[in-house]
Formats: sequence, structure tokens, C-alpha cells
Amino acid sequence: MWKALLYKEWIKTRWYLLLALSVTLGFAGYALLKLHRAVALTGAGHIWEVMVTRNAVFIDQMQYVPLLAGLALAAVQYLPEVHRKCLKLTLHLPVPALATLGVMLAFGVAVLAVLFGLGIVLLAAGARPLLAPELVGNILHAALPWYLAGVAGYLLGAWTILEPTWKRRILCLLMSVLLLRLFFLAPVSRAYGGFLAVLALLSLCAASLSWLSVVRFMAGRQD
Amino acid sequence: MEPVIECRHLTHCYGRRKIYEDLSFDVPRGRILGLLGKNGTGKTTTINILSGYLEPRSGECLIFGENIRTLTPQTRRRIALLIEGHVQYQFMTIEQIERFYAAFYPAWNRDAYYGLMEKLQVAPGQRISRMSCGQRSQVALGLILAQNADLLVLDDFSMGLDPGYRRLFVEYLREFAKAEGKTVFLTSHIIQDMERLIDDCIIMDYGRILVQMPVGDLLRTFRRYSFRCPDDARLPSGEGFYHPAVVRGRGELCSFASPEEVRFRLEEAGIPCEGFTAETLNLEDAFIGLTGKY
Repeated sequence: MWKALLYKEWIKTRWYLLLALSVTLGFAGYALLKLHRAVALTGAGHIWEVMVTRNAVFIDQMQYVPLLAGLALAAVQYLPEVHRKCLKLTLHLPVPALATLGVMLAFGVAVLAVLFGLGIVLLAAGARPLLAPELVGNILHAALPWYLAGVAGYLLGAWTILEPTWKRRILCLLMSVLLLRLFFLAPVSRAYGGFLAVLALLSLCAASLSWLSVVRFMAGRQD
Repeated sequence: MEPVIECRHLTHCYGRRKIYEDLSFDVPRGRILGLLGKNGTGKTTTINILSGYLEPRSGECLIFGENIRTLTPQTRRRIALLIEGHVQYQFMTIEQIERFYAAFYPAWNRDAYYGLMEKLQVAPGQRISRMSCGQRSQVALGLILAQNADLLVLDDFSMGLDPGYRRLFVEYLREFAKAEGKTVFLTSHIIQDMERLIDDCIIMDYGRILVQMPVGDLLRTFRRYSFRCPDDARLPSGEGFYHPAVVRGRGELCSFASPEEVRFRLEEAGIPCEGFTAETLNLEDAFIGLTGKY
């Protein structure tokens, strides 16, 4: 049964995942290409100096890519469920509703983890020949909140899409925007420090919000 | 007979609009029960409550003895649900959707599904979103039958189907339900189909149940009476007389009462009953006789 639930999610998302993989890796690759070009033009010493003295990370252009990837995954996965109330079919399956939702969310978080993991590996592998390990660490630390924003965006997107009424959906949207703002407070390395762990916890807690939407759906709430 | 569905004292409102109050009914095991009513009388509301997607203001529904708000997965496995509009996962193909559902139901009847799909003239790899409305309905019905559930809850099952497939499905469903002892609770706007299919009916009017009885009894005892009378005659109403009216010198009413009793009550009210006739009705006419023509 669990395999069947995953099979459904796979059918919905497989083409999107291919696209998301290309775009995410494409942006990371483009950022690296620019870094390599800058090193070739001005020399590694200058780039190192700029990174240390001005907190530059050279990957700003991919700041919102993980967030967009997460939001789009939520749309691809959950819009077909709310279209003509297909969610009724999913919740009527002989599996506890909470477990069904858990599998769907876990699938989404897992594929994002793979997607973003590959992005991080690419960034690290691409920057390592040019930069000192500490500077590569700076780049990854700057990118971590953005990747976390992708996971949080996915979970908050699921919450908003599954919500059965428009009034409440708008409220969900506003709250999601405010929460997601937290991930983009400072696009520099190590700006979040220990707060990054709080952000990670917050992102995972956002998973429970979707259950509220499902409970409201099962109670027949409507505009 | 042991009831499969028990609804007790259901009351539901949308905002300030009351749909019904204190509605109670049972569906006995092995029977095919049709829920009939005009638009807006609460048929889909009842199905939504029964399928656990609407919490009534008060009252409760039990299916196989379990409250529908807390059905176990084992009990849910015994219930096949057809959602209004024959909704199914449109992003799947005919093959994918069969493979998906088969994993959840141990008694899954693959042959029943593919038997019906063969009549569709579509490729197994065709996506449901690219099918016509009628074809999508047939896929949804095929899946319902393949599930081989003990209880089938079908909301507006005939919607979008062509007459040939409707007839085929009605015959198939009745034969399947009777041979396997399945219980069926359904609604449809096409009452001719219901007449061929159902054993019992519940006819709803705004806010209440008008009748719940075997269709055979309804068709045998419910009659339309007509007679000549003056245009300004005031026909007796209420107490078993449904929608009495005088049109161009001809009185008409429907009732469960015998011809003798109707005639006696009309004469008692001073209505001359010249040309008095009583006729039994088909289900559609009986439905209109009970609920009126708006």
C-alpha cells in the first residue's frame, strides 16, 4: 500500500522533478561558471580577498531557486488532489488519513532533499579547486537557509493548497510569506549562526500544518 | 434485516440555510436503495456525510456499526465510493490507475475492470484527462466494481453516460449486487434507471424524507387520481393528498389512499367526481406526484 501511495506521487511529479533537477543544478552550475570566470579574469587571490573582506559568496543569483522549486513541487503534488476534490479519493483509501498525508509529505521532502543535496555537492565540488575549504564552507553556509526555505516553502505550500476555503487560504498565504521572509534576512555567510537549527526545526514543524487543512477538508468546511 | 447504514437524527445547515433536520434512515444489508430528490434537497449532502467528508451539525451515521467519523481502514476497505462527477485521478492512465487501486484491495477484480474498459475503445496507456466525460465516468465505475466492496455508495452514477452504457451498467450492477449480496446506496437524476435498479427508495423533499419504502410497494399503492370539477373548486389538501390542483376543469391529485377513500373524501368536500379515474404510475411520475413539478 505504501508503495502504491509513493507510485501515485511519482506519477504526478516525475516530469517536474526532471525539470527541477535541471534548473536547480543549472543555476548552481551557472553560479560556479561565473566564479570560475571571475577567478580567471582577476585571479584567485583577489576573489579570496573579496570573499573574506566583503562577505561575498558569488552565488546570489540562485537565492530564490530552491524556494521556487519547493513551491512548484507543492503545486505539482497537491493541486491535482484539490482539483475537483480528488483528495476525497485519497482519504477514502484504506489507510489512516494521517499516514497517507505523512507519506505524501515525506515523499516531497525526500525528493527535495535529494535535489538540494545534489546542488550542494555540485557547489562544493565546483568551488573546491578554486577556493580554500573555509571559503567553500562560507558559500555553503550562505546557501543553507535558501535550501531550507525550499523545504519550508514546500510544506507551507502544501498547507495552503490543501486548505479547503479561500478566505483561510489567503490567511495561510500571508502567514507563509511572513515565515519564508525569515530565510532571506541576510544573504551572507554564517549570518544565521545557531538560528539555522531553529529555522530547520521550524521548517519541519510546518509539516503538521497540512494536517490542519486535511482535518478541515474532512469536516466539509467550505466558503 | 441487519442495517449496513444507520443514520440517526441528522441535522445539517449551510450557514443559515437548513438542509434537513432530524433525518433518520437505515439501509438494510443486501438491498439496493436509491435516494431521490429534487436539486438542493440534500442528496449530495447526505452522501458527503456518509462518506465522512462533511460533519453534520448533529446526529450520527454508522456504517457496518462504526461511526463514519472514525471509520477504521479495514471498514473503509469494504466501502466503494463514487464521488459526484465521477471524479478520478486524471493524471493517471487506465493501466496506472488500476495498478494503483489494486494494491489497496485484496478482493480486487481486475477482470471486471478490464472487461468494462474493453468496451471503451481506448488504449490502456491513454491518460484519463484526455478522455471524454462519458469515458471518464466509465473508468470510475469500472474501478468501483473491481473493488468488490460490500457496500457501494454512488453519487449520481448515471451522469455523463450514454443510454447504452447506462443500461449496461444498471444491468451489470444489479446482477453483481444480487449475486454477491452487496448493499448499494445511490443517487441519480435519471429516474428510469433507478426503476430498473433499486429495491427501495427514499424520496426527499426540502428538509425531510417524504417516503422510504420498497419501490414495488410505492408503484403498487401510489396513484394519480383525476376527475372533472369546476375550475374554482377547492380540493382538500394535506393528510395523504399530494399536490391537488385543478387545470382547465380537471382536478388531479396523487395519494396512497385507495380509490374508494379518495372518492369518499372528495365527495365529502363537495367535489363532484365525474369521470373519476385512478392510475398507477412509473417511478418518475410517482416522484413528481410526491414532490410536485416545482
